[in-house]
Order: sequence, then C-alpha cells, then structure tokens
Amino acid sequence: MSALAAVVYREGKIRASNALFIFWDIVYPLGYLLVFGVGMNKALGFAQLPVDYYAFFLAGVLGMAGFGIASNTAWSFFMDRDNGIFYEMLTYPISRAQYLLGKVLFNVAIGLMQAFMTVVLAAVLLGVQLRPVGFPLLAASVVVGTAGWFFFYSIFALAIRRNDAFNTVTSIFYFVLLFASSMFYPVEPLPAAFRMVARANPITWHVDVMRFATIGLGDPRWIAVEALCFGAFTVASFAGAIVMLRRQA
Amino acid sequence: MSDPAIGVRGLVKWYTRAGHPPVRALDDVTFDVARGSIFGLLGPNGAGKTTLLRVLSTLSKPTGGQATVLGHDVAAAPLEVRRRISVVIQETAVELFLSVRDNLITFARFHGLRGSAIQPRVERVLSDFGLTSEAHRKAMDLSGGFRRRVQVAKIFLVDTPVVFLDEFSTGMDPLLKRSVMEKLRQEAERGRTIVLTTQILSEAEELCDDILILNRGKQAARGNLHTLKLLSKGVYDVTVTFDRLPPGIEADLAARQPLRMAITQNTVELTLREDEGGILPVVSAIASRGRVLRLEVGGASLEDVFVELTKNQPATTEDASSAPRGVS
Repeated sequence: MSALAAVVYREGKIRASNALFIFWDIVYPLGYLLVFGVGMNKALGFAQLPVDYYAFFLAGVLGMAGFGIASNTAWSFFMDRDNGIFYEMLTYPISRAQYLLGKVLFNVAIGLMQAFMTVVLAAVLLGVQLRPVGFPLLAASVVVGTAGWFFFYSIFALAIRRNDAFNTVTSIFYFVLLFASSMFYPVEPLPAAFRMVARANPITWHVDVMRFATIGLGDPRWIAVEALCFGAFTVASFAGAIVMLRRQA
Repeated sequence: MSDPAIGVRGLVKWYTRAGHPPVRALDDVTFDVARGSIFGLLGPNGAGKTTLLRVLSTLSKPTGGQATVLGHDVAAAPLEVRRRISVVIQETAVELFLSVRDNLITFARFHGLRGSAIQPRVERVLSDFGLTSEAHRKAMDLSGGFRRRVQVAKIFLVDTPVVFLDEFSTGMDPLLKRSVMEKLRQEAERGRTIVLTTQILSEAEELCDDILILNRGKQAARGNLHTLKLLSKGVYDVTVTFDRLPPGIEADLAARQPLRMAITQNTVELTLREDEGGILPVVSAIASRGRVLRLEVGGASLEDVFVELTKNQPATTEDASSAPRGVS
C-alpha cells in the first residue's frame, strides 16, 4: 500500500507543479459541452433523439475527458524518460503493477472531479435531467474508463520510444476512436459498416454506459454487455501495459 | 566467501534486435561481493559494466546464469531485490518539475520512509551535499552538476543494504567527489555494500576493496588492488622531464615497445615491461638523451594493469572469446 501511496504522492506533486495542466484537464470538456453541444443542438437539432442534443452529448463529453486525461498521463512516460527518472523508478521497491496503478490513481481523482463539475454544470446551466440513481455507475465508469484508456495508451507510450511517433499514434486514435463511436451521435442511423465499427469500439461501450448512468438512455441488458466488454478491455490493456513495462530497459 | 551480499554465477546477457546481429554483452561472468565492501567494476566502453549493473538492479533480465542480491534472485524475485537496493544510474535522473527538497522527499517515500522520519534525513543530506540554499529550487533550474548532486544525494537518505552507482562522479567537482567518496567509505563501514562502475581508475584505486575488470563482456581480472598489481609485476611507470625534448626521442622510445607512451611538451611518460634488473639501464639510457629536470620511476598502477589487460581489444561485444583470464 505504501508503494502505491508513494506513486500517487509523486504524481500529485508533479501535476500540482503545473496547475495549468490540471485546469485544462478539468475545464476543456466543459467548454466542449457548452460550445459544441449547445451549438449543435441549436444549429442542427436531432429530431430522432428522445432528449436534447446536449443531454445526449453529456456522456460523450465525459468519455472524451477520461480519454484525454488518460492520453496525457500516458504521455508523461516520455517526460519521465527525458528526465532519466523513468529508469531510476524501475529500480524502486515497487512492482510494475503498482507503478501503473499509482500513476493512474491521481488522474482518476482528477477525472472524478472533472465529471462532477461537468454534470453539475449540465444540470444547472443546461437543465439536463439527470438520474441520481445512476451516479454510482457514472463514478465507476469514470474510474474504470480513465484507467482503461490509460493502460491502453501506456502500451503504446512504452513500446514507442519517440515522442513524435506517439503523438501521431494518439492523433490517429483520437480521430478513429472518437468519430467511429457513439460519442457525438447515435450509432443506429449510421451506415451498416460504420455502425459495425462503432459497435466494436470500446469508446462506444464506455460512453453508452455513462449515457445510461446520466440520463437513462439505452437498453439495460445491452448496457450490461457493453460494461462487461469495457471491463475486459481494461483488464487486457492493464496486462499489456505490465508486459510492456517489464520489457523496458 | 560466506553469505555474500551479491552472488553471480555464469551470468550471460545477449542483446537481440531485429535486423542486427546479436550482441553478447556478458559472457559467463562469475563473482561474489562481500557484505560491507566496496566493489569496483572496471572496463573500457562497451565492456559490459553497465549491463551487469542493470541486471543486478533488476532493470534487465539475464539471458542465462544466475545473480542474487542478499539471497534473492534478480530474475525470480525482482521486487525483493529492489527492496534492498538503491541505485544511481549512469544518466542524470531527477524529477525536473519538483524542487530539490521534493526530489528527496519523493525518493524517501518510495523507499518506505514516512512522516517525521523523513525531514531530519532530508535536512542532513541537503546540508551534506551543499544543497540547503537550493532546496526550494526546481531541479529544472539547476545546472547539470547540481542535478547529479541531487541524484547521488538520494542514496544517502535511505538505509538500503546494497547500493549501486554507475559512474557516480560524472559531472561532480573535485571537492564534492572527494566528499562523496569519503561518505561511501563510511557507508561501507556501517555495513552497506557498495558496487560501483567507473572509468576513473584512481577513483577505484582509492575506494575499492575488490575490483573486477571486464573486457568485451568477460572477466579479464578479479581481485583486490594488491592482487591485480601482481598481474603487472615487472611493469614500471617512467616519467622524465627534460629541459627541452631531445630530437628523435619519440622514435627511440617507440623502439622499446612500451605498453603506453605519452609525450607532453618536454615530458615523456612511459609504461615499460622490464626485468627488475633491467629497468635501471633503460632509464639511464633515456635520461642520457638530454638534460633531465625531473625523473620518476614507479611500480605498476591500476591503470597499467587495466591497459595491459584490455589493450589491443576493441570494445565490441560481438566476440569475447579472446579476453585473457586473470586471477580471482
């Protein structure tokens, strides 16, 4: 436990040394919700949706925030490598799993704070009808989601030694995973091939669970399947990240 | 040796990379390190020193053989090993975004220190390393030398029984280096086992109880300073300073096939292998070439041993089969 606490302490200290980083992690999804969500709702409207677009998009924003925090956290491996501290840390009395978990725990806390602020803002400013009964599920999906995406990105951050190559990979993931998913629009009206890709996309599983948790949209049985799939994705990514970490040096 | 701090048996490490021939970085290395001793790993670039340290500090897995730290196998129980070691890696390693004090506190927490145990140690180390006035500054604002100072200072915060240092004195000023060497000696006297690599042979000569010379991944020699110097019995260092360099002396000296020769301005430095009775006539012959201002003749230094054991063997690790065997 003390090893985990030490990693969390270290992450917190580093992130606190750059408050702008934390501010951006927390605030940018809010901006997305207010600007993009409201704009899309007013400009285009979505007649086939049972709720306003910004209520629909709320879960997308929460998913996007977790995705962003996770990629930023994984990118910090490059910073650690540049500082030389990465290899020194690998000689500390912590297991590789503790290293990964500790690294993500602080950022999960940021994710929860960000989700709380976004949800409150959506309810107060946009009048989104939230389901308090879904809040525990929402909290769980923020925690698992941030961790899962961090582990996923860590595989690439640890396998790729060049920062610029990693940035290219994350840009591709952003484009493919975010747009071929239910983050910005419902999957059902999409062309069959597009829909198939979206259904197999872990972002869709993650966002659908959060959408069900926040506004109750979705079939509970299908949501349960998606939650299980995302859990499996997280476990597999965690295992992959540990393997990659063990291959360092 | 009973119950050594570190035991290495037939250690082998190959590096393989797609599209490149495999590289044998360590080849059948076997040795023990006594508890509370200072053990030096010497060798030219590419000899395998850092690879050996990486294996012992669990950063890299061995391809074959076995290595244990305080009885724990580095491959089978790496976490148990890491609980007993602290490491100064070759590259500068600090938390750039944290203050000097936070660098130390973070390291201490990783090594299990908590609450009130940390502060006095941090203050002591800050003072010992001349870092008190820099304690609040972020590491990113420090010079390279100060960053290295912070990195090395960390190992004196904790009580791990084994310490690994990979070329710890890189970037240190002479005064600090001397002070760190003194501290390392004190730590060994307290019972900590110190394993260090260095390219600075005088450092090893002054500090190490026991030395392993590696060359091309293989053991070239092993022993304490006295034992190693026996390897170069009959080897002499000769230094002659003339009022001005005699013409043609370079060719004359080269004809004597010295192990090492250097000419700086009007001073000639040679390392020669001669019989005990033969060295004085040789020195006389050299001195007779001009007006001598200074003349020194000494026995072999560690540097002589090192040069002799590693000469004419380029530091590639592809084939280490021809490295000479030393004593152990």
